[in-house]
Amino acid sequence: MTSSLTIAHLYPVEMNIYGDRGNVLTLVRRAEWRGFMPTVVEVGVGERFDPADVDILFAGGGQDRGQVAVGLDLQSRADALNDAAEAGVVMLVVCGTYQLFGRRFETLEGHEIPGIGLFKADTIGSTERLIGNVTIDSPWGPLVGFENHSGQTTLDPGQFPLGTVVRGSGNNATDKVEGAIHHNVHGTYLHGPVLPRNPAFADHLILTALARRHGVDKLEPLDDTLERAAAKVVMDAAR
Amino acid sequence: MPNHPDRSPGARAVVANGVGKAVLGLRRMTRGGGSALPGLVAERIDPHMVGRLAAQLPGGVIVITGTNGKTTTTKMLVAILEANGSRVLTNRSGSNLSRGVASALLERSAWRGRLAEDIAVFEVDEASMPAVCAELRPSTVMVLNLFRDQLDRYGELDSTANVIGRALAGLDGSATVCLNADDPLVASLARYCERPEVRWFGVDVDGIAKLDHDAASDSDHCPQCGHALDYDKSFYSHLGHYRCPEGHVERPIPEVTLRSFEAVDDEASHLLVEVDGSALSVQLPLPGLYNAYNAVAALCGARSRGLSLTDAAEALTHVTAPFGRVERVDVNGRRLQLLLVKNPTGFNQIIQTFLAEPNDTRLMLAINDGFADGRDLSWLWDVAIEDIAPGAFVLCTGVRAADMALRFKYAGVEADVVPDVDEGLAELLRRTPPGESAEVLANYTATLELREKLNGQAAIKRFWQ
Repeated sequence: MTSSLTIAHLYPVEMNIYGDRGNVLTLVRRAEWRGFMPTVVEVGVGERFDPADVDILFAGGGQDRGQVAVGLDLQSRADALNDAAEAGVVMLVVCGTYQLFGRRFETLEGHEIPGIGLFKADTIGSTERLIGNVTIDSPWGPLVGFENHSGQTTLDPGQFPLGTVVRGSGNNATDKVEGAIHHNVHGTYLHGPVLPRNPAFADHLILTALARRHGVDKLEPLDDTLERAAAKVVMDAAR
Repeated sequence: MPNHPDRSPGARAVVANGVGKAVLGLRRMTRGGGSALPGLVAERIDPHMVGRLAAQLPGGVIVITGTNGKTTTTKMLVAILEANGSRVLTNRSGSNLSRGVASALLERSAWRGRLAEDIAVFEVDEASMPAVCAELRPSTVMVLNLFRDQLDRYGELDSTANVIGRALAGLDGSATVCLNADDPLVASLARYCERPEVRWFGVDVDGIAKLDHDAASDSDHCPQCGHALDYDKSFYSHLGHYRCPEGHVERPIPEVTLRSFEAVDDEASHLLVEVDGSALSVQLPLPGLYNAYNAVAALCGARSRGLSLTDAAEALTHVTAPFGRVERVDVNGRRLQLLLVKNPTGFNQIIQTFLAEPNDTRLMLAINDGFADGRDLSWLWDVAIEDIAPGAFVLCTGVRAADMALRFKYAGVEADVVPDVDEGLAELLRRTPPGESAEVLANYTATLELREKLNGQAAIKRFWQ
């Protein structure tokens, strides 16, 4: 069993701030440990790329400066990304890119960065920064992470969240839901990074991608003792 | 910013000073070490006490800020000034928030608010810069570098730069600002210095092998147009010789330049520094290119004060590392080297200096998640763990031992996990034979914890000197 698995890391330089490259590393290693052969394609602002060609697409969080450049670039890819999402390409977008996968991000100063409208969601800048450890309930069990955002995201009725908040804030200070999900596209505010300590979620992304392209129907279990221990520490840690 | 027309300590100032000193005395008796509390109390009673005290110093105030190297550079500049015969006031124990600075001033003032020193050198936390500079009116400000640090506490790097810029914009016209030419974000701060004079320091050496997995480049884009900068030379993180492809920015030519860097051993380096076309040789009893940066920054600061750089170079030969930065401790015949790691760039510099060459290193990492550490440890995934050469073993301890071990696991290295620091240290000593050495990397509160444990087992000087 040596199927290939192509992972695109979108904006690795522009949106690189919260250790998010650990998510790509986790996808690569967990695929390798099962005997698959992942390759990573890094795609920067302005570089030619068709998201329909890859199995998994990842994009992370960045500084505001990065987000403006990325916002413009994303507009040029809006149709391609929406088409790829409809076709079932697996995606994980975190924080800054998650916000831009919604319809719009309105900054505190009233400046509007248009999103690609993949999620039925709007984000509005706030003076309150939501910071701290988070635990959510998700279809893959409890997920842990660290949130750090001033943009507050509100989902339309009917837009599914990634999970419900057990501890922390999530999308905004009031709704008690975290992230968004549409087809196989997952958006979240969870850093940490999110995948290393939530191996069931990481494996869901890998399996969904392999099932779609290679008909793989299950992954060999791995020894996740250390991953679970690290997650437990976060659940028990102060907010 | 209020001026201080009345330089004599008024009754309110004398009371504030007295109460502050009393609190300081109490703190010393009950817990040892200075702290922010005396400064806080005095500040409440007389908010301009700090400014009044600082204004007495004939040599003025030197302020040092930046992400990494503040404490070491402060120590270097103090040594240089003291060798020149100055009586120097400083905040030695890394209490670098505005209240720590206030406490340092209070501690040295007599009961009626008089200072015996000539000049002050303070390390100042980036976020405290506007308040501290407005109150102290420094005559020299040095900005060492800007790397991503504890994001949950400080927010993003660009906003940190803006905060420092605000402080620089408010400086007196007679002030001097020393900036790192090799850091594009620091160099961009020159735009805030309309009135103060800007002086540059930097590095121009060949043969520095940047780590393969150095992903901690935070500001390698043009601050004006956002294009990726072109680099002729790259040392670590975003430090190097850069130019915007659109021509907006270019590395300034520094007046104090490191021309050659040679590691003597794990404990010392030999530097050749060029100033005004002549070469200055410095035997620095500290390892690593990052300490060489601190040294050229300190020399730039000394030059801006008109001091002899030959004397300054001589003073640098006696500088020792501050608390936890690089420290060697003998425990029952085992040599432990304690190294403080706080952010990806600092961690990468430790790897580049001590851990990148093949060796039989016994390595312990102590990682906590206290407020002073930053509660978000995502940054561990930005560290070039893959560049650590295989050694004897890796042992992870501290509250976040499992997180650290997980990072090693995904870099292909199996690490042992012993969360309790006491037990972790015991395990390290058990597995390190007498006569052998081990490297101990720890973040801030883990360093404090280790010091406390080691205090019982070895003679270490107290860190609040």
